[in-house]
Amino acid sequence: MSVQTRSPSRAAQWLNFPHRGVGMWAFAMNRLSALGLAVYLFLHLFLLRQLAEGPSAFDRFISLVRSPLFTLSEWVVVVGGLYHGLNGVRVILTSLGVAVPYQRQMFWILFGIAALGSLAFAIRMFTA
Amino acid sequence: MTAEVWTVTFRVFRRKGAEAPHYDFFRLEVSPDEYVLDAIERIWAFHDRSLVYRYACHHATCGACGMRVNSVEKLTCITTIRSVARDGGEVTVEPLRNFPVISDLTVDMGDLYRSMEAVHYPAVSPVAAAPLPTIPAKDGISPGGPLREEPDAHRLNDCIECGLCVSACPIATTTAGYLGPAVLAAIQFQGISGKPALAGLADCEDGVWRCHSAYECTAVCPSLVDPGWRIMDLRKQAIGRRFRRLFGRGETA
Amino acid sequence: MSKPHAILIGAGFTGCATAYDLALRGFDVTVLERGDLAAGTSGRTHGLLHSGARYCVTDQESAVECIDESRILARIAAQCIEFNGGLFIALDDSDLAFVDRFVEGAQTCHIPIEQISPRKALEMEPAINPGVLDAYWVPDGTFDPLRLALAFAASAKASGAVFKLYCQVEAMLADGQGNLNGVRYWDRTTGQHHELRGDIVVSATGAWAGELAELAGAHVPVRPTPGVMVAFASRFVERAINRLNKPGDGDIVLPQRRMVVVGTTSFEAEDVDYIPVSEEQVAEMVKRGADLIPALATAPQRGAYMASRPLVGSGTQARSIARTFKCFDHKESDGIDGFVTITGGKATTCRAMAEATADMVCRKLGVSAACQTRERPLRSYREFYRAGEGARA
Repeated sequence: MSVQTRSPSRAAQWLNFPHRGVGMWAFAMNRLSALGLAVYLFLHLFLLRQLAEGPSAFDRFISLVRSPLFTLSEWVVVVGGLYHGLNGVRVILTSLGVAVPYQRQMFWILFGIAALGSLAFAIRMFTA
Repeated sequence: MTAEVWTVTFRVFRRKGAEAPHYDFFRLEVSPDEYVLDAIERIWAFHDRSLVYRYACHHATCGACGMRVNSVEKLTCITTIRSVARDGGEVTVEPLRNFPVISDLTVDMGDLYRSMEAVHYPAVSPVAAAPLPTIPAKDGISPGGPLREEPDAHRLNDCIECGLCVSACPIATTTAGYLGPAVLAAIQFQGISGKPALAGLADCEDGVWRCHSAYECTAVCPSLVDPGWRIMDLRKQAIGRRFRRLFGRGETA
Repeated sequence: MSKPHAILIGAGFTGCATAYDLALRGFDVTVLERGDLAAGTSGRTHGLLHSGARYCVTDQESAVECIDESRILARIAAQCIEFNGGLFIALDDSDLAFVDRFVEGAQTCHIPIEQISPRKALEMEPAINPGVLDAYWVPDGTFDPLRLALAFAASAKASGAVFKLYCQVEAMLADGQGNLNGVRYWDRTTGQHHELRGDIVVSATGAWAGELAELAGAHVPVRPTPGVMVAFASRFVERAINRLNKPGDGDIVLPQRRMVVVGTTSFEAEDVDYIPVSEEQVAEMVKRGADLIPALATAPQRGAYMASRPLVGSGTQARSIARTFKCFDHKESDGIDGFVTITGGKATTCRAMAEATADMVCRKLGVSAACQTRERPLRSYREFYRAGEGARA
């Protein structure tokens, strides 16, 4: 039996991390969070620009940012920022040759801090 | 003792000449403690003599039989079927990534060999020159190396140029110019102090700075080379060298 | 006159070394190999660079070949050899009874050996059996099998030889008089079939030499004699450790990178293309290996495999057949001209086998050129892979 095949595109191969180790997960999530944060930056500027368009635009803006969906999105940004920033610390340390053999443990510790931070933010943001 | 017998389907990547690639399926009765390479050899011997695959030593010293087994790079000669399959299951065997495929499971390792030659990586070194500073035991292989060392004793170096690290590296997948983990590890092994040519190769855009710390090279390395650690150590060396040059102290031999 | 064209079948140690020798003597050489380099017996040797001490009692002709050739290889192929010596250790009365013959045999064969006290031996190699009764140092070494073949092949290429890998010879082509003048082969990377003409066909197919000769209607008395080897995931010793006795099963332990390899058994096989590794033999290797190095009994394994020696000859026990090599001119043995077979021998003697084969080829074709492979170091093994050549490396 024989089946035709096509190779996945090169960048898509970054995402075959289910088979991979911690380092590859950290790398792929770092890329995804970076993309997310970059997109966020543009959205952010785009929305802020509306503030300059007069009182009615200002009111629409305020009602938008008070919606639960917006709060959730903000929380996602916080999660992405926490992960990317903390993993960034790990990448900087290992790039200086510090604690490279412990990059896995370091990932889990920083990931844990990011998760706890995300949880704290969630409690703060969704129970206010 | 009755030998355990599993039925495993091998899904094997095939390509001949300019034809489009496809997968062939072979159902084999195997012992779970056999190695994946044993099964591939049986496919060749009893099912399909056109199957092209590369191997030599069968005990992880030559580096010829690197393939992707279920999407992860393995030396098939030391990968037991038990570790990658279950009875009645399927195993996918594909050639390494980031190398041109010659046919089926064989890739052209020329680039890697030529790069290793360009950085003068020796195949044999004094026993004492084989420090393993960091990594823990993996797959049961001893990290401690020789039990007794003497200055004039020589040994074959760890890197067997199997290309698993290059195939596993997500950056090598998207950046053809990247020097890659094996070659950077080979530079680190020799050190860049007093070696401007090696330092230039390592300390550039497609050298150590291209690495994005996925550590897949170290995860798949069958020979305890730990390229991930070596690349980071090389970064440290490169930064030190830049600082020394900044303060007017050039190459020290 | 244009250069004579030699078609060499098989890219193991002997094939690569013969390609190198013939290319240096001015031949156009094309090597056809059905797998990759060293994909048969060569890649799977335990990698012992024989000082000859192992055969100095039972097979002195091989022993002399080994000591001569190991010295040459240490000179020309240092790039892939650990030359740390070896120890022969005596562990029981039978071993001790063998010592005198061993010492005498080594002297006869001019193999420099040195008696070592058991205490010193244990100091040198703490992992060996602490019950060691007597020990001798010998100039053994270990080599990287694939890289040794690559080094010969790279040197052959540098002198113009062409290697066609994954190309399986399917038929011998003959002229009107029944003499060989070419081969038909199947390129397994493309699925295409080709013909290649040459002035002489040389089979360097080791354990497969019998099968290959049959394609030409010739006969080679080669006995494929496989043995099992087991690798362990710790480098317990720095030197080759041999049992000080007649060659037997599981009586060598060799260091290789971070491993050691125990070899080997000896039996006969019908189908050399696939020889299964039997669990009983692996268990036997572990047991015998543990006699030499007790820690092997519990050490994690790292591969178990089978390699098929090409022993030349017939009758008697495989262990006692000489390990020396033999060149067959099929004009003399089968009345077929244009066809030579080289088989038998050991990895350590591959260069000498190549020299003898090239001598025979030169004699047959009336070429006068001397062997040049003894002195100059081989090219770097990595030069086998040249830019832009792909499978046609």
